[in-house]
Amino acid sequence: MNSASLVFSTHHKTIGRQYLWLSLASVLCGMALSTLLRLHASWPETAIPFLAGVENSAQGYAAVRLLHGSLMVFFVLTAAPQFGFGNFLLPLQIGAREMAFPTLNFASLWLTVSSLVGMTASFFLPPSAGLNVWLASAGIFSLAALFSALNFSTTTIEMRAKGMTLPRMPVTVWAWFLNAILSMLIFSVLLAGTSALLSDRLLGSNFFSAGSFLAHQPQNLVRQASLPVLWQRLFWYFAQAQVYVAMLPCFGIITHLLATFARKPVWRERLQVLALCGVGLMGFWVWGHHMFATGMNPYAPLAFSVLAASLGVPAAVLLAGWLGTLWDGRVQFTTSMLFAIGFISLFIAGGLSGIFLARHDLATAAVSEDFVIGHFHLVMGVAATFAILAALFFWFPKLFGCRMNETLGKVHFWLTFAGVYCIFMPMHWLGLLTQSNLLGGGQRAALASAGASIRTMVTVATIWTVAAQSLFVINFFGSLVRRKKTEENNPWRASTLEWSVASPVPDDNFGVEELIVYRGAYEFAANGGDFTPQHLSPGLLVQKAD
Amino acid sequence: MPGTTAGHDIELIVEKVADDGGGILPPSNGARGGDEGKRPPKRRPSPRRYYTGIALGIVSVLMFFMALASAYLVRRGSPDWVPVRVPGLMWFNTAVLLVSSGTLEMARKRLGLLDVAGFRRLWAVTTILGVAFLIGQVVAWRQLVGEGIYLASNPASSFFYIFTGAHALHLLGGVGALLYVARRNFERAQVTRVVAAEVTSYYWHFMDGLWLFLLVLLYLGK
Repeated sequence: MNSASLVFSTHHKTIGRQYLWLSLASVLCGMALSTLLRLHASWPETAIPFLAGVENSAQGYAAVRLLHGSLMVFFVLTAAPQFGFGNFLLPLQIGAREMAFPTLNFASLWLTVSSLVGMTASFFLPPSAGLNVWLASAGIFSLAALFSALNFSTTTIEMRAKGMTLPRMPVTVWAWFLNAILSMLIFSVLLAGTSALLSDRLLGSNFFSAGSFLAHQPQNLVRQASLPVLWQRLFWYFAQAQVYVAMLPCFGIITHLLATFARKPVWRERLQVLALCGVGLMGFWVWGHHMFATGMNPYAPLAFSVLAASLGVPAAVLLAGWLGTLWDGRVQFTTSMLFAIGFISLFIAGGLSGIFLARHDLATAAVSEDFVIGHFHLVMGVAATFAILAALFFWFPKLFGCRMNETLGKVHFWLTFAGVYCIFMPMHWLGLLTQSNLLGGGQRAALASAGASIRTMVTVATIWTVAAQSLFVINFFGSLVRRKKTEENNPWRASTLEWSVASPVPDDNFGVEELIVYRGAYEFAANGGDFTPQHLSPGLLVQKAD
Repeated sequence: MPGTTAGHDIELIVEKVADDGGGILPPSNGARGGDEGKRPPKRRPSPRRYYTGIALGIVSVLMFFMALASAYLVRRGSPDWVPVRVPGLMWFNTAVLLVSSGTLEMARKRLGLLDVAGFRRLWAVTTILGVAFLIGQVVAWRQLVGEGIYLASNPASSFFYIFTGAHALHLLGGVGALLYVARRNFERAQVTRVVAAEVTSYYWHFMDGLWLFLLVLLYLGK
């Protein structure tokens, strides 16, 4: 296979890997930008070589922030769990040889690539043109997400192997499927919004004329209604719906990994799947609420309250399911499992701070930018990244035919785990400290100095965490270069279909034999063995037991 | 040549009925032996995915227009709203589009009767009617422009142009599909002409219905 046919392939595994490479490049850039932001926040006077022009103006600072956000939200959190792992694994886990529409999948990948190029380029353009390019790129990304969603849902409905009934589908497949349905409904709305907004800006139409848009913004924002503020608001408008799109597949991945490494079936599997449906429904409902009821204003306190309150129920069910799966399990602390458990920890911590944000009376008192940033980075940013890393360590043998180093992986996990808590927990405190103007003068001065030292601590922790990622980069590329071939097809003793074939997966997935699925995805400690693969026929099972 | 193609189609209709590809099969009861694995490996993928795909695609397109429609209804109350009268020509265009749906169904009926030449003729008529509708829409826009109603005039005109424009764009995709079915060599395709024509017809009728909805919305909403 020559390099051109590798790059321009319509095969689902190649496309899945390409999405993962795209995400890796984006996450490294995004992390570099966040370091830059922290350095600037702690030492605003210090000029950073090469970037003096960028970060020393308010607009430049906002632009760097948004590039960080755009890269991370669109091309890491949305792309990796759904498009990356989903494209690679969905056909494998349902026993298919290809996605339903390979050409559409190909179009979707290259639309995503062009959207990445566009969004990155928009930050090097003058603000007005930059915003147009950014919006057009968001529209292109929506189109890519729509194509992809169409492909995922059709594949799940129509391409399953014989015997792969709905209850037998792995939870990961459920998550990708539900997320595709959700994406199809919300990204078309997003596309309509971006098209209308772009038409306003380029053709002078009057869908969201600036006057009515600004009238819906809080007063303090209208006063300084400069472009960066508008950029931020628009970013939030998109990010709100994106949260669910990013999190749903992560929930599926975590549920899957916990069962595998606790050597137990998923606790109340059907309830878990229902909870995933719940998250999807709420995600759509909240999005609809923003669009239909409050127009373009994402800050309506009521919407926020309803959002947080309604999302609590399925989130609690999922959490109970994870803990129930771990309970009394024979837990294997592999690197992948550590990241999965780390995900739960971050999800709980972030969820707790979310309660403060849900109560809008408390929110107005306690919430400042730092608090919000701390909250959503814990839940969405870091937790989702942990899920991605857990998945990468787990499926690395299938993706690339070799395993990552476990020891290095564990060191990387602990350094990162400690690091992210040292970054985002103090951020919550900083958020609360900004309310110190309610106090007397002496106390306020003491708090201000405490605030400065906390800020420095956050920056140091950021550098620490970013530096720790070099271990990951070394591990990742080191494993690829060494290519120590894994001997076994199924090193984790997992039960789903992708582990029934060689590592890396052959080009035609399952070869010439027709695959038949005989049982559910999580039969651990059943039938007298450690695990029972989905494809193992009952006849062979009896032989094995004998 | 047309005759052979039709025979090919018929063969695959049978395959469609006795579909063995998709996932909605009863769970195997486990009593089957290992003989199952010796089936011929290269089976043609089930055509059902095209039906599912177009159904989901239609839902997605519908959401796009519903989002705009809800924004239209919300925005209608604003003080700068100046209603736009639907040009008379658009009613004529509507009739053209409705007739095209009829000819498309007649074409499919011809295909069912193995009359490929008749199918091609009626399919071409459908395509021409579709293009005529699009040209008619462009002329109607020019009439509006002649009356001084531009995209940027006021919110009502913005919505008028985006609704009709987005629909025209989607219909253009439909015309592309019609041309694809007309020109495609189905001898070597993964999909049969019958399936391709049916899937295209779903989209075309949906575009027809969507246009009626938009017309009513624009007419009553003014």
